[in-house]
Amino acid sequence: MKRRKFDVKALPAATANAVDERFKAAGPIRGLLNKVFPDHWSFLLGEIALFSFIILLLTGTFLTLFFDPSMTEVIYNGAYAPLRGQAMSHAYATSLDISFAVRGGLIVRQMHHWAALLFLAAIVVHMFRIFFTGAFRKPRELNWIIGLLLFWLGFLEGFAGYSLPDDALSGTGLRIATGIMLSIPIIGTWVTTSLFGGEFPGHVILDRLYIAHVLLVPGILLALITVHVGLVFVQKHTQWPGPGRTNSNVVGERMFPRYAIKQGGFFMLVFAVVAFLGGLFQINPIWLFGPYRAAVVSAGSQPDWYVMFLDGSTRLMPAWELRFSLFGHGYTLPAIFWPTVVLPGILTVLPLIYPFIEARKNRDTSRHNLLNRPRDVPQRTALGMMAVSFYVVLLVSGGNDIIADKFHISLNAMTWAGRIAILVVPPLAYYITHRIALGLQQHDREVLAHGVETGIIKRLPNGAFVEIHQPLAPVDEHGHPAHLDYVGWTVPRKMNRLGALGPAIRGFFRPIERPAPPPPPPALPAKERDKIDA
Amino acid sequence: MSHEPGHGTPAVDLSADNLTNRQILEAGLRRDDIEIVHYESPFPVPGTKAERRIERLVAFLFFLAGAGAIAFVAVYIWGPFNPDEYTFGSGGEDWYTPALGFCLALALFGIGMGVLVYGRKLLPHEIAIQDRHDGASSDDDRKIAAGTLGFIGEELGIQRRPLIKATLGLGGLGLGLAAAAVPIGMMIKDPHPTAEHPEDPYFETGFNPRFNDGKPVRLVREDYTPIRPEDVSIGGQMTAFPGIPGGTTNEFADSPILLIHLRDNDAQTLRSNLKNYSKNALTNPSDPNSGSMWNNFVVYSKICTHAGCPASLYEQQTNRLLCPCHQSQFLITDNARPIFGPATRRLPMLPIDVDGEGYFVAKGDFGVAIGPAFWERPTQ
Amino acid sequence: MSRRPSADVDPEGMTMTTESGGKTAARLRRLVSVAPRKRGKATRRLSAALRMLAALVFAGGLYMAVAPASSAADNPPLSRQAEDGKALFDQNCISCHGSNAQGVDGRGPSLIGVGSASVEFQVTTGRMPAARQEAQVPRKRPFWGGEELDNNAKALGQYIQELGGGPQLPAGTDFASQGDIARGGELFRINCASCHAFSAGGGALSSGKYAPSLKEATDREMYAAMLTGPQNMPVFGDNQLTPQQKTDIIAYVQGMKSDQDPGGWGLGRFGPVTEGLAIFLVGIVALVFATLWIAGKS
Repeated sequence: MKRRKFDVKALPAATANAVDERFKAAGPIRGLLNKVFPDHWSFLLGEIALFSFIILLLTGTFLTLFFDPSMTEVIYNGAYAPLRGQAMSHAYATSLDISFAVRGGLIVRQMHHWAALLFLAAIVVHMFRIFFTGAFRKPRELNWIIGLLLFWLGFLEGFAGYSLPDDALSGTGLRIATGIMLSIPIIGTWVTTSLFGGEFPGHVILDRLYIAHVLLVPGILLALITVHVGLVFVQKHTQWPGPGRTNSNVVGERMFPRYAIKQGGFFMLVFAVVAFLGGLFQINPIWLFGPYRAAVVSAGSQPDWYVMFLDGSTRLMPAWELRFSLFGHGYTLPAIFWPTVVLPGILTVLPLIYPFIEARKNRDTSRHNLLNRPRDVPQRTALGMMAVSFYVVLLVSGGNDIIADKFHISLNAMTWAGRIAILVVPPLAYYITHRIALGLQQHDREVLAHGVETGIIKRLPNGAFVEIHQPLAPVDEHGHPAHLDYVGWTVPRKMNRLGALGPAIRGFFRPIERPAPPPPPPALPAKERDKIDA
Repeated sequence: MSHEPGHGTPAVDLSADNLTNRQILEAGLRRDDIEIVHYESPFPVPGTKAERRIERLVAFLFFLAGAGAIAFVAVYIWGPFNPDEYTFGSGGEDWYTPALGFCLALALFGIGMGVLVYGRKLLPHEIAIQDRHDGASSDDDRKIAAGTLGFIGEELGIQRRPLIKATLGLGGLGLGLAAAAVPIGMMIKDPHPTAEHPEDPYFETGFNPRFNDGKPVRLVREDYTPIRPEDVSIGGQMTAFPGIPGGTTNEFADSPILLIHLRDNDAQTLRSNLKNYSKNALTNPSDPNSGSMWNNFVVYSKICTHAGCPASLYEQQTNRLLCPCHQSQFLITDNARPIFGPATRRLPMLPIDVDGEGYFVAKGDFGVAIGPAFWERPTQ
Repeated sequence: MSRRPSADVDPEGMTMTTESGGKTAARLRRLVSVAPRKRGKATRRLSAALRMLAALVFAGGLYMAVAPASSAADNPPLSRQAEDGKALFDQNCISCHGSNAQGVDGRGPSLIGVGSASVEFQVTTGRMPAARQEAQVPRKRPFWGGEELDNNAKALGQYIQELGGGPQLPAGTDFASQGDIARGGELFRINCASCHAFSAGGGALSSGKYAPSLKEATDREMYAAMLTGPQNMPVFGDNQLTPQQKTDIIAYVQGMKSDQDPGGWGLGRFGPVTEGLAIFLVGIVALVFATLWIAGKS
């Protein structure tokens, strides 16, 4: 019998045939390979969050191999000498072991923590981009809502992770979380006692947070992220308005090869930044905080940055507590309820329904695949900046004791400054943003009407000085440029940068205007390669 | 520019022989309504100096990645790491993690940048336009979907069978309740004292004599040594715990207290202020120890009435107690009145005395709820 | 050295009221011989001396009548070191703390009974002499430098010690090496970290006051601070924290300060605030630059 020769070269084709016979994949794969994606730097912000999440899964899996959330008290006798002989929970002891007894454990722990901070930071920055460009409008309202849920899930996930090592800082955080849960009317004590399995801190909370942290919340996160990215595929990405870019097309490049290569490279860069931070910037030195004891606290106790705005709102809240009697029994509605339960509720609901409010107000039922430049929707931009400034005041107030201490400001003055700023700054931000947006828009309209400033000053016979403008449109016989409509495109500001598709600046720090490319040598069969030039 | 992408792509006869890959790609693009309107190789002439420079750059970046990765492995294996002992000033060990991070970042940076430079500089630039085809389905499709669902509804015929509809609804509701009841029932715990568990987590601390066979509970340090009055200097403060088994552990997380030895005039001020607070005031005006204070000593709960952090930043001259979490400030000489920040209620005072052996004891429990407020907390 | 012209103030005699008989003569001689040199006029010298004498006789008599007999009778003569300290005190401290360290209302507290530990702490950390009245006297460059600072602080301390007693520091400059770091860490977290922060980097207190960073604090200064409770710091007497326990705490703090962070740059060991700042300033900024480069037209 003739032995069949194994042909390596035919292997890919054979495999492809085998796969296609079973899955009928050739058509869908072609569609995927050819799918066109628009390219803009701001479209890559969400990817930072996605890639951080992947890093979190990788590093987190490593950590679970060495971490034990047990709250059983042990006497530490591990590698970290300055804590030997101390009573601590097993969870804290294993966290110390990860840091000092597991080779490479510290860098993985730090990368995990930095990736968590990066995950939420990227989500927030990405969310700002979506909001200010109007990418949440129909048909993408659902993805906006999912994105918002992703933020809050990430918030929960981060807080659970922050609590797990059971150091003094995380214990203090849990204690405050107890105070927040207790403040909920009617069910507060029930919720708290049920979650902690009795009185704070009890013996079960870390086990419960652990399973939430490594299974429940990541599972939901993973599912929602899949839907989030899937919807971007199905609905196709939005794009900036510009020449040739319409509401019914996507202008960009095919997913393969160049777009996918860029994504892969960017993932590596995000990973590199996380590794750099994880190795060279110390984060959460639990060995300095010590084990959690109910009587121990450190000055400057803060949550991670994404929870800090709630800490700030709690610090700024005046001491207003409602106490009243009903049927002979007294009831209390604590001050902490408003900034930590009601405020996050408002901060969830308002953005959730914002797309619908805006559409209703504008009586807008059409689909939007073109983004708005922030200046073109001054009201939304101003509202957004109002929200951002509100958030930033809370965020800064969350660290106001550190600021007070390091910059020698009175702590009480910092609190009062925050209380006043939270009322004054957002309306101010609204007004200023609104004016700036209108001003930028006006400037663009002027450029369209008169052309680009050339910097050439001409003296008229009557002695007046005028600047010569280079018209953007053809001029009529009187030298007046034809009328150009304002359609929300980027308007050129400088000479020789006409339109978004024109030759752009090369280099980021050092713009080099490239001269016009030389004509291709006639000898080349240029037709074959380059004929699709429009 | 064409507004009908794909239509600008020339039709290709796929049955023809000798088609280039490019031609086949275009056949596919046409099917996906894609048109490439601009396609430009960055180096139309292969092998120019500029192209070779980019190639060398990419190669260098990949080499860097490999070198970084090998360095990472080398540091990982032979770096100064002692899994058995870390002491302050361990010297070389302190650069173990930074070195790992630097090598790993270098390796990843090299790979990432290499790939990016390759993709950005060596691959052809293109501008492709694809039709979106978004929006609702065609009228026919919608009609068919609605009709199909309608027919399925008729097939099921649940509308015609009200008995089944009602019982199914009931059954579904019951199952839903059951599904919810199990996890809730597993976790739920009554926060209030019941016959089965008499302890009251929100109103009771380790200073309740119940934990000490009905005898007053001593104040102890974190190592369970009892405290004599002379142990705390004037202007000093001490974190203390109930002297019961487990009293200094997190089992009694509501119990930590702050024992403060006031200066004489501050103590006078406090004593004179106490008469407004019947719980802590002197019962016998001539006996300075008949109230909750003992001589110039006063004890407050360390658990902040705002969110439960230990309010323990004691300023011995201004007699303020600051909570580091949300900056509530309490005036010690006025029965721990909150004077700044979000806290609304005073820190509860623990009535103290000195027992026959000269150690501090609690006369009784606080008598009020410790720590953060909650709904059913009485409005004292 | 005599930057503070206390001698110009003193001749009015008001600060002499509590001078006890035996020392009056010596003090008078010194003043009479010092003050005129500064003024340089014979007539003023004479009149000043006479006024001084009259005031002293009057005030001394008044004091003898009013003051508790014991303090006047028990005041032994000052040791040589304390005499030096007294001279320093009269030149540099007397304007706020009053003569014989009795304190001046609204300017400076009485130093009777604060002990040499307190004096040494305040002087070696540069807090005293204070520059001005404010929420809290900050650490600054000490008034003297090097060995002179050491000697003068000890002399001043000895003077105050002999005046009214009070806590004293043990001898030696190195306590850290005798302490148990693990035990000290536990004590540090329960007693000190609430104000000075887990990293001993300091923290804010109410209304502009603060717990200072212990970065520059020496063993002796930390010991003295615990023993005497300077400014708003609570006192940790030897019954509360035994000398061994204080040594343990010092060992922990000095060890922690000397330890290079094993996880890279410690970001000042401020906790999550600087970490949050770093993720935006380093992480997000670097990656946004990356996106600009990646998506930029090449």
